[in-house]
Amino acid sequence: MSDRGWIGLLLVAVGLAAVPALVGIFDFNSFYLVFLSGILFWTAQSTSWNILSGYSGYFSFGQGAFYGVGVYSMAVFFGRHGVDWLAATVIGGLLSMLLALAIGTIAFRLRSLRGEIFALLTLAVPFILAAVVRLSDTIDGGQGIVVPVPEYPEFLGSFQTFFFVVSAVVGVLSLAVAFVMERTRYGWALFAIRDDEAVAEGLGVPTFKHKMISIAANGLIGGVSGAVLALNLGFVSVEGTFNLRVPLFVIVMSVLGGRNHWAGPMIGAVYIHTLQNRLADSGFDGWSLIVLGVILVLLVLLAPEGLMARFGRRPWAVGGVFAATLIGLGSWGGWGQPVDWLAVALGTAALVAFLPGRRGGEVAAGRRAHHAPEIFEELPSPVEVGRPLVIADEAAKDFGGVHALRGVSATISQGELVGLVGPNGSGKTTLVNLISGALPPTSGTLTLDGNDLVGMPQHRIAHLGIARTYQIPRPFHSLTVRDNVAIAIMFGRDPHGLEVARDAADEFLSLVGLDHLSDQLPGQVNLHERQLLEMARAMATRPIVLLLDEALAGLNPVEVDNAVAVVRRIHESGVAIVFVEHVLRVVNQLATRIVVLDQGEVLAEGEPDLVMSDPAVITAYLGKEGHARSQ
Amino acid sequence: MSQLQATIFGALSGSLFAVMALGLSVVWGFLKIINLAHFGMILIGAYLTFELASTTGIDPIITVVIGAIAMFLFGAIVQAGFERWRVSEFNSLLISYGLLIITVQVVSNVWTADFQRMDSSVNPYAAQSLALGPLRFPLPTLIAAGFAVILVVGAKLILERTYSGRALQAFGQDRDIAGAFGIDHTKLGILLAGAAGATAAIGGMLHSLGESLHPDAPFEWVGRVFAIVILGGIGNVTGTLYAGLLVGGISGLTAAVWSPSASPFVVFSMVVLALVFRPTGLFPSKTGH
Repeated sequence: MSDRGWIGLLLVAVGLAAVPALVGIFDFNSFYLVFLSGILFWTAQSTSWNILSGYSGYFSFGQGAFYGVGVYSMAVFFGRHGVDWLAATVIGGLLSMLLALAIGTIAFRLRSLRGEIFALLTLAVPFILAAVVRLSDTIDGGQGIVVPVPEYPEFLGSFQTFFFVVSAVVGVLSLAVAFVMERTRYGWALFAIRDDEAVAEGLGVPTFKHKMISIAANGLIGGVSGAVLALNLGFVSVEGTFNLRVPLFVIVMSVLGGRNHWAGPMIGAVYIHTLQNRLADSGFDGWSLIVLGVILVLLVLLAPEGLMARFGRRPWAVGGVFAATLIGLGSWGGWGQPVDWLAVALGTAALVAFLPGRRGGEVAAGRRAHHAPEIFEELPSPVEVGRPLVIADEAAKDFGGVHALRGVSATISQGELVGLVGPNGSGKTTLVNLISGALPPTSGTLTLDGNDLVGMPQHRIAHLGIARTYQIPRPFHSLTVRDNVAIAIMFGRDPHGLEVARDAADEFLSLVGLDHLSDQLPGQVNLHERQLLEMARAMATRPIVLLLDEALAGLNPVEVDNAVAVVRRIHESGVAIVFVEHVLRVVNQLATRIVVLDQGEVLAEGEPDLVMSDPAVITAYLGKEGHARSQ
Repeated sequence: MSQLQATIFGALSGSLFAVMALGLSVVWGFLKIINLAHFGMILIGAYLTFELASTTGIDPIITVVIGAIAMFLFGAIVQAGFERWRVSEFNSLLISYGLLIITVQVVSNVWTADFQRMDSSVNPYAAQSLALGPLRFPLPTLIAAGFAVILVVGAKLILERTYSGRALQAFGQDRDIAGAFGIDHTKLGILLAGAAGATAAIGGMLHSLGESLHPDAPFEWVGRVFAIVILGGIGNVTGTLYAGLLVGGISGLTAAVWSPSASPFVVFSMVVLALVFRPTGLFPSKTGH
């Protein structure tokens, strides 16, 4: 995939570089330069939007704010004060990036409703900016600002050529940023955040940092692109800048083209800009918002994955029909202009892409092997119990008035396999949440190897060596089984690139016996396999303490035996394990030590056999009657 | 005295925004849908009042009956569509955004993009005001405040006293469990979305009594209305009214002592602070929203 991607990006860049040369050779008039510059502007805007909202899932209605900061930076610094246009462009990008970081600092720190609040915040910001710009005489004051034509190198000939070249540079740079992100940790952190932010953080992804990087890139590119566009506007006004055009168009373009591919927003920009241009030319200006609204609604209902994904399914047919239509209409020459031919060719290409297919995509799922992972029959080699790793001292957690944990003191040492048992509601999962840093304790301390864990960001705790699984598996649904594990390797203690991580991922998958399912999506594998994936993913962070939260829940007896064998293997590799479980048979068999929780307190702890015959434990589990009967 | 006047007048104006926010908040809280098309429904409601009152001479307040029925259908049909195509929460946001821009453009094509207001001959309320001691208040604002109280009290009673209301609360808290107890969420959701649409029409009518209309108005309401929804607590009907009065009062006071241009800053800073310190709203309700 990466090889073909490079060819695509290179083709776009080379094609654009050839355009100015065409001006001289053919009679390539300025209409087409303006037209292409428009596409490039929208490519930069929608790609920058997609870097945040498409990749990370944080939906922004505020692209107009970044664009507007760029436009007004050019207008004020270059137009009013005569600062060099290139410097004004840089200033515009930086100011817009600062705004983006400010928005991120507020919205990304929230614990609940982050996504919704972020969307609403971005909806409000452009209107507040518009008020500031309109009222401040040092910026605009409501009069508008004239932006003169800048000086440009003479060899470019006309201003339109100059503007095209600048737009092309910004457009291609924005594509390159998206392209590189998609192939590096920067993009993959965002994909993980989009699928399940809490899990990503727990695996060691510094989610806040990556969201800030992504919104900064969004702001920077949006601002630079806005500043450049201002050069072509001539006159800048509040009404013309802070309206819905930009925020709306970037959303429609990205949804149309596809949010999961670097070229998706560009494809959307080509389609929407061409459509807009033809609608305006035919005198349907008043209809363009209606058409866009209808396209948005229909797309979300019918093809939420976008055109790029459809093109990818039959690239040759789509490309062939597009070229044939364009060349056919061009050589016939009896109707319209090249831009009309382009519009028709784009339309037919989209039609071909949407033709019902031969279910080609489903074959992969049917091919999947159904043999169960083999069961390990090796006997456990005794693992020495070493120094203490996790020490909880009077750790307590309240939820409102509910005391989920009332001061629990416990130690997990090297080489141990601690069974954490107790009735429902006794605080087992809460204790796991405290140790892994998913929740802060209300009082008490937690340390790992002497490091204070309280208040430490969860991804740091993961880097120190604590990993966990979830009772109900929470895989990243849009990533393959292999990439689920690769994420954990990419963001581990010593970070790796995508390709290295993918290779290494297979080792962890074979540790749990899932290597035959590497290319499946999590939705295609069964519960047992998803639970094994949880373990492989946790192991890929190279933990020293692994917290397994009811890893056997809902499994049949054969699957339980298999999962137990996997847990043993992990234990033998030197990882201390905390094993939350209801099935006492398994706990007895596996654990080197048992801790019993009841109503948020430690009821008993010690050797499995001793603890399990403790009258208090039996009472807690079976009630008084059960206690009496067992005697 | 002028500051007191400005604060109370602002609070009363805020109650109009509380009416606009009410349906949005309830649909977000109970159906988990952020329905941006709600603003389009308010806009249509306002223009329907304008059109009916101007052409037929009916009292503008009476015209709301037609607007409310029309917007009930609008809201119910959109919700039925969401159910029919099993639209995810996130996609419903996108679709309602698409519907909003379609609405704005259609209104602009039908009624032009110019500012318009009802002639004083058909709108007897606009020019009148009521004196309360030394303070004077325009009649449209007082009418809006009256409607706000009636709607909020009515909504509270329906949600707490009727089977449908309680079922909706259960549904808002946990869909799966509520479904397991036999609550027909599809029908209830459509009814609720319809009712929210009707309140949007009322909001539009109240807006048209005192203000000029133009098609881009929804984008001017968005910030303040969402501020009220968030400050009041999502899905909390009485909180919405209190938040409306608070936001309006503070806007009015800020405008009087500082500058009208400063009021968005003050309101917006309040929202940010509220989000950080009280993410469930300033006025927690007993029902736990």
